[in-house]
Amino acid sequence: MAENILVVGGGPAGLHSAVTLADIGANVSLVERDSFLGGNPKKFKYKFLFPDMQPADDVIGELIKRAEKNDGVKIYYSSNVSNFKENEKKFDVTIKSPDASETKTFDSVIVATGFEHFDPARDAKYSYQLFDDVIDIKDLERMMGENNFVRPSNGQPPKNVAFILCVGSRDRHVGNQYCSRVCCTVSVKQAIELRERFPDCDAYIFYMDIRTYGFFEDLYWKAMEEHDVQIVKGRIAEITSGPNNTVICKGEDTLLRGPFEIPFDMVVLASGMEGGPQSSEMVDKLGLELNEHGFLKPQNVTLAPFKSNRKGIFLAGACTGPKAISDSIVEGGAAAMDAYIYAVKNK
Amino acid sequence: MALKEQEKRPVAAKGEHIIARHLIEDDYIKEEKNLVIDGVDVSGRWNTFIFSRVNPKFDRSFFSEIKKTVVGSRINRCWQCGMCTASCTVTPLHRRFNPRAFIYMMQLGNMKELKKYVDVAWRCVGCYKCSQRCPKQVNPAEMMEALALVMKKYFPEEVESKLKVDEDVKKIYEDMILGNGRLDLAKLHISSMRKMGRTKELVDRIEGGAVLKMVKDGRAFSLLQLGKPHGWKKSRQAIEGYLKKVDTIEKN
Ligand SMILES: Cc1cc2nc3c(=O)[nH]c(=O)nc-3n(C[C@H](O)[C@H](O)[C@H](O)COP(=O)(O)OP(=O)(O)OC[C@H]3O[C@@H](n4cnc5c(N)ncnc54)[C@H](O)[C@@H]3O)c2cc1C
Ligand code: SF4
Ligand code: SF4
Ligand code: SF4
Repeated sequence: MAENILVVGGGPAGLHSAVTLADIGANVSLVERDSFLGGNPKKFKYKFLFPDMQPADDVIGELIKRAEKNDGVKIYYSSNVSNFKENEKKFDVTIKSPDASETKTFDSVIVATGFEHFDPARDAKYSYQLFDDVIDIKDLERMMGENNFVRPSNGQPPKNVAFILCVGSRDRHVGNQYCSRVCCTVSVKQAIELRERFPDCDAYIFYMDIRTYGFFEDLYWKAMEEHDVQIVKGRIAEITSGPNNTVICKGEDTLLRGPFEIPFDMVVLASGMEGGPQSSEMVDKLGLELNEHGFLKPQNVTLAPFKSNRKGIFLAGACTGPKAISDSIVEGGAAAMDAYIYAVKNK
Repeated sequence: MALKEQEKRPVAAKGEHIIARHLIEDDYIKEEKNLVIDGVDVSGRWNTFIFSRVNPKFDRSFFSEIKKTVVGSRINRCWQCGMCTASCTVTPLHRRFNPRAFIYMMQLGNMKELKKYVDVAWRCVGCYKCSQRCPKQVNPAEMMEALALVMKKYFPEEVESKLKVDEDVKKIYEDMILGNGRLDLAKLHISSMRKMGRTKELVDRIEGGAVLKMVKDGRAFSLLQLGKPHGWKKSRQAIEGYLKKVDTIEKN
């Protein structure tokens, strides 16, 4: 009889886990809390993905199609795990769907519940939700995705835009000390898109460090060298309203010393990633552990990055920390392997 | 007695009473020494006003202007790592000469800052060490040329007043070139020492030795009567023509 494996979360990581497992003959149940698959990239309608500007539809759409078409994957939409019990190295799990509740026994489990976008409204200094023209990178992704990029305050195209990095990351004040890893690359990518679409709109990036690690560096160079995106060193400490319907960024020019207050038509906050309430939910329901940053904690970050603290439960994707889609997909495959081995060994 | 002293008190320096006054630049403080509004005397500190520090904007038009020049075309590449300044021949001697910072000011069109460096902006000796080191191939050495163009164009008065060409030295220099077709370093050195009133030193061990050395190793060419370079007449005419042209351009 085929192995029964549960995958929680239908983002890039969970989708790839599910399809990989089904391809080697397992019976997969994929539980997704939303009414659609694809995770955050789908939910916030990312349009073009770094590093190579592939249309998100081609990547995420393809992952979804593979899962939906696969007979070995049973998808539970708008569902969640309501009851979870270990039973002699197997797991009795109740899956609650809108119109049914089903209890099954699984040989192993993959948790791929992903991340939440940091809500910039939590950090009052950035005046998010106070001024219409202060948005964040997920809002901008969505606006670009909907082909509707204008100043929210007046519907006009902006003449200059400031990106502010490290919003909700690397800041004790908001409780997040870690680097969210993708926001630098997302910001330079968006600055390029902006300059491509609106050559008359200047783009500035306020940074403390630019962490476009590995080959993502190409986008950073491209933004400067081909699109004249200007980087300015200094973190913005305050956003206030300015003359002529502008928003003012107050910061320090740390290269020349001294404060500045520059008005912009629009400000884009590079808000980071958080473990979100779903990580705590997995801790409560499945008996997992959180790390000091609020993400799910692997048994050993180096030797066993996909194993959780509980035997038979595995972790994949952004639920264990900020990462890119490619990493999440790689982890989905790796966790699938771990979960399959566990299931086969304990039959 | 106390009153008398008070009357004699000198007029307050601008913004004197502001706490942590040193944090605010002079330009940002407006204060009228004598001001009466509606019959009320609001002289001195009573009318002190601190301008908002809101910069009008980063001036990208300036950036575009630089970028269009041959020497400044790579201004968009610079990410301010400072390898140029770190390797610069001149910076250790003139700490205010900082290629990295100048490029940044040009990127952001920060004319207010740039203006403060009119006196040192010309110090580049063209050794190209910076360009050899620069990881982004910005070619900062040539960016310093762009800087010189900027200074001339936007701050002509400051350039005129702060950078006085020493006419005597210029004449010696030109005479040497036009007369012999060669620079006579020993002669140049001697005339500059003379100008500084240091003729005595010329015969001491160090200076005298240096002159002797120049003669020996051939740097003091005309002293050895090497003669003019081949086909000098033509070159000389070209140089004279050029100098005349520059002269008329500068006069206009
Ligand atoms: C603004 C922004 C732009 C980005 N752009 C790019 C890019 O261009 N290229 C790139 O490589 N990466 C990008 N990333 C990173 C990318 O979003 C993540 O790497 C990726 O989404 C992680 O995939 P995941 O499957 O681990 O998590 P998620 O995408 O978060 O998916 C998790 C899924 O689990 C579901 N879920 C959560 N909790 C439960 C639960 N309790 N029960 C059931 N289901 C649950 C969620 O609904 C969701 O569908 C970007 C990130 C941000 C913030
Ligand atoms: S990726 Fe960049 S913007 Fe994001 S937290 Fe790290 S340094 Fe800050
Ligand atoms: S010019 Fe080159 S070396 Fe100098 S700061 Fe810019 S990138 Fe660095
Ligand atoms: S070329 Fe000019 S700026 Fe560059 S290292 Fe030499 S003196 Fe310094």
